[in-house]
Amino acid sequence: MTSLLTILFNGLAYGLLLFVMAVGLSVTMGMMQFVNLAHISLSMLGGYVMVWAMDAAGVPFLVSLLLAFGACAAFSVLLERLVLRHFYGADDLTQVLLTLGLLFMSIASVAFIWGPAFKPVTVPSWLTGQFSLAGLQLERYRLFLLVAGGLLTLVLVFTLERTRFGAMVRACVDSRRAASGSGINTDGVFALTFALGSGLAGLGGAMSVNLLSLDPNFPLRYLVYVLIVVSVGGMGSITGSLLAACLIGVADVLGKYYLPELGGLFIYLLTVIVMLWRPQGLMGRAA
Amino acid sequence: MPALGAGCVCFPTTFLSQHKETTVQLPIQRRTTIRLVVAAAGLAISAMAMAQETIKVGLLLTYSGSSGVGGQLADHAIQLFQKKYGTTVAGKKIEFVKRDTTGPNPEVVKRLAQELIVREKVHVMIGPDFTPNVLAVAPLVTEGKVPTIQTGAATSGIVGERSPYFLRTFFSIPQLIRPLAEWAVKNDLKKTYVVVADYGPGHDSEAQFNKAYTALGGTIAGNSRVPVRNPEFSSYMQRIKDANPDAVLAFFPLGELVPQFLKAYANAGLKDTKIKLIGTADMTDEGLLDASGDTSLGVITSGPYSDAHDSPENKALVADFNAVASKIGRFNASAVAVWDALRLIYDGVAAQGNAKFDPDKFMAFTRGHSFDSPRGPVTIDKTTGDITQNIYIRRVERQDGVLKNVEMVTFPNVPAK
Repeated sequence: MTSLLTILFNGLAYGLLLFVMAVGLSVTMGMMQFVNLAHISLSMLGGYVMVWAMDAAGVPFLVSLLLAFGACAAFSVLLERLVLRHFYGADDLTQVLLTLGLLFMSIASVAFIWGPAFKPVTVPSWLTGQFSLAGLQLERYRLFLLVAGGLLTLVLVFTLERTRFGAMVRACVDSRRAASGSGINTDGVFALTFALGSGLAGLGGAMSVNLLSLDPNFPLRYLVYVLIVVSVGGMGSITGSLLAACLIGVADVLGKYYLPELGGLFIYLLTVIVMLWRPQGLMGRAA
Repeated sequence: MPALGAGCVCFPTTFLSQHKETTVQLPIQRRTTIRLVVAAAGLAISAMAMAQETIKVGLLLTYSGSSGVGGQLADHAIQLFQKKYGTTVAGKKIEFVKRDTTGPNPEVVKRLAQELIVREKVHVMIGPDFTPNVLAVAPLVTEGKVPTIQTGAATSGIVGERSPYFLRTFFSIPQLIRPLAEWAVKNDLKKTYVVVADYGPGHDSEAQFNKAYTALGGTIAGNSRVPVRNPEFSSYMQRIKDANPDAVLAFFPLGELVPQFLKAYANAGLKDTKIKLIGTADMTDEGLLDASGDTSLGVITSGPYSDAHDSPENKALVADFNAVASKIGRFNASAVAVWDALRLIYDGVAAQGNAKFDPDKFMAFTRGHSFDSPRGPVTIDKTTGDITQNIYIRRVERQDGVLKNVEMVTFPNVPAK
């Protein structure tokens, strides 16, 4: 029983991390039908910004996380204005090829700037080691992921459901033409959403460094997981992404614990089953 | 070069002119002169060609991608070696032709090997790294009769089996696993949990360890095979905790899985228990130690080479290397394998003297050849061409602020099989 609870805890923390990395992609895909595979490169950028800030500038851990968020949001605005917006009307294949190219460029650029080796990170001592809770030995860093991920989810849901900006975003996701017709500056809304989503990707990437690992091949390793979260959750749905991320996280650790022979195959099976049952994703609406 | 050419020309021309004068009666002076000039020119050209014969060494290593550091380290090792021992052997110039394998990529590597052998006409090859790449080039190497020295593939059953032209200066998995199992049993580690990456060399390590360890009386407490693309280790850590072993044997390919595993191991609190973490040299390779950081402290591995190996040659080599390449990485087991591959090539070419390079004579010489490597004494096995070397049991410690594999126990002259 204690094993099961520990594993659930680990899986949820992992799931929330995936959620933070993927939610931006889900919203922008739902809103603009723009397939941005380079989203995961922003997570890598966030990781490098954080490690660089901590190592070279001596910035404390939590501040460097915010820096990663800010840097990725700012960089994505540049990317959106200079490159991506010219391809909003393009077909899926063009978008996929373009952003895949950007992804490979990001790998080469990062290797050139920061070198091809793995980048270690040292988190503050209050985030290392374990703590006891009701007889369970749990990892402090995963608790941090759970708390941070949970707070972010609340803020996101509140922003989308309760604020004027949120209403505009929802309107754009529902029907961009109708939103535009009723006077919403859809370009502006999209740019801001894109920046927010990219900032979150950077933040997720930065938070992941201590749990996963950081090197220039980061995007190739984690792209699949982010895409699974988006497609299982349903494009454009925050709660869907959250549900999918937690499901994938928990299923992954449970599968590896109870059915180690299946190894990493478990989550792919789960993805196939969900996709057969609901091709539009758990919370997505049928086209 | 010109002086040598001229010297060679003089002797045969005088000899020729005497010869002509005695056998040909009353030769026409002018014709003889022309003949002499032609003969002299021809001889001069062939003499110059003799002096300039080059030995082409094909390098099939990874220069880009996630393992790209390996190729760059090899390049620096080669530069350093040539600086120390020169660029010519027995009057033959040693030249290198590089090809980038980009990683475990058998189809690409097959094409590159063909290019090196057929178009570039290389005499010897170093590489390729990664077992699947080695298997792909085996038939080409045999057909082209190109001695090929493995510096980065550790699977058993390649060298001495797949091609008669394979040699290895790296290490083999059983060569590391057997001493490790012996050490574990001697040090009262009776129950071991085995975690390996779910691919060929991982299965190889698992099987070798199970065999050696249980034969010595150890018990396998459990085992896990981890997918090669695996970002999340917590379930495996929980399985280890449940099994409560004396030791954990871990095997992962050089790459992201090693620091990930070590981090997960520390985060799960296993590092603070009495459980000992043991593994092959890959777990604490000098190329990964700094990235793994303190999570690798205390890890016990068996390996052929540590940059902390205590010998004057090694200390000088590491100092020279760090002076030029410390930004790229640290001297490690594959860099020393490249270093020793060059030693084999230099010794093998020198042994053939002025004669044209003969691959079979090269193989006959190198098999059974012993020499002093920066890692200690090594011998290339007479029948297989694989390496026999000392295997050290090391522990990761921090020395002068740097994480190092500190050698504790030496198993002398361990064969590869």
